[in-house]
Amino acid sequence: METIINYLENMFATLPKTKQMNSLKEDLLANMEDKYNELKRNGKTENEAIGIVISEFGNIDELVKEFGIKLEEKKEQLPMLTDDQVNKYLEANKKMSKVIGIGVFLCIIGAAVLILMIQLSEDGLLTGLTGDAGAIIGLVPLLVLVALGVGLMIYSGTTMERFKYIEDDFELPTYLKKSIENKMEAFHPTYTLSTILGVVLCILSPIALFMAVAFNNYSILLGVVILLLIVSIAVYIFIYFGSIYTGYKKLLKIDEYARVNKENNKVINAVAAVIWPLAVAIFLISGMVYHQWHINWIVFPITGLLFAMFSGAYNALNEKD
Amino acid sequence: MISSDVIRGYNDTIILYLLLNEASYGYEISKNIKELSDEKYIIKETTLYSAFNRLMKNGYIESFFKEETHGKRRKYYRITQAGIDYYREKCTEWELTKEVINRFVREELINGNNH
Repeated sequence: METIINYLENMFATLPKTKQMNSLKEDLLANMEDKYNELKRNGKTENEAIGIVISEFGNIDELVKEFGIKLEEKKEQLPMLTDDQVNKYLEANKKMSKVIGIGVFLCIIGAAVLILMIQLSEDGLLTGLTGDAGAIIGLVPLLVLVALGVGLMIYSGTTMERFKYIEDDFELPTYLKKSIENKMEAFHPTYTLSTILGVVLCILSPIALFMAVAFNNYSILLGVVILLLIVSIAVYIFIYFGSIYTGYKKLLKIDEYARVNKENNKVINAVAAVIWPLAVAIFLISGMVYHQWHINWIVFPITGLLFAMFSGAYNALNEKD
Repeated sequence: MISSDVIRGYNDTIILYLLLNEASYGYEISKNIKELSDEKYIIKETTLYSAFNRLMKNGYIESFFKEETHGKRRKYYRITQAGIDYYREKCTEWELTKEVINRFVREELINGNNH
């Protein structure tokens, strides 16, 4: 009987929830129940009885026409994604996660190269160049690497533009949703492992700095270079695996991609667009003008921390229960 | 089995016929249709309730609730005078239809196995 009730509920799901429809649904259910009970009394099995009742239900369109129901709500139906769209998106997302990861990696490496050049020229290893000259020469690879990195990010951005519909509201067929959930489930251990690896790398990265300080003959700036190298690898891991995971979350509309959170994301993205270039500017100015290369890299972890605090607090404050 | 397309215009007649003698409820009506037609016509739920709605709107039948012996409340339908008049009209119409269509039926071409 449960099956029949569910079947009827499904049939009425798209119809307006009016008093008339409710009473019609009740009438139909009473009728189907009578039929079901009699079939059972006549020795039919549960499945046979359900099968007969459902096969003799008819076509819901007949009622729609007869009752003159206007299915205006139907217009609001969201577009249904197909297997093809979802698979292409997941494939492109994976490829572009790599591209963005490399882009960010190159930007950080650019900063590392800049510091390396300064150190080398301070050590007199670059013939006849002072520290300042080294800084200026170091700017060239920095800019080239940053340009390359930004180029990659723009490339991935325009490539993903094709999948704009993922950002909008859509529906997934149940089987497709299940299959994405399974894929996400299968990916979860890899994601967790990569996050742990990234965090461990970040925690261990200052060791390079301590080593440089401990062995006085090594410069602290070299320590910073190695630290940045390790951090850039960690950041690549975060971005690559994180974006793949985010792809699943976007498809399933969970966590920060749930429909209610969309507005919050807009504000957070806007703040991110301002705060990160600002951090880069502080980094460059404090280094170039005030020669603080040994310590000014700290703006990045601080910015990251402040930003995380901001977005966390913002989401919490805007949460609707 | 009769196709629902062919019989559509006469669902009302069938239901009114079953209500001529006494009031009845949904399942009983569909069961009677099945039995009286020797299981050649099984009315779909949606067809039955579309017809009830149409007949009520036109004032040919009215509904009321009746307590069953075991305390269950059932919706019954009863024919009105307008319904009886309409039924009579439909019967006359059918006589005419039958007479006309029969003139276009070649008896010798009908495969006896289909009966």
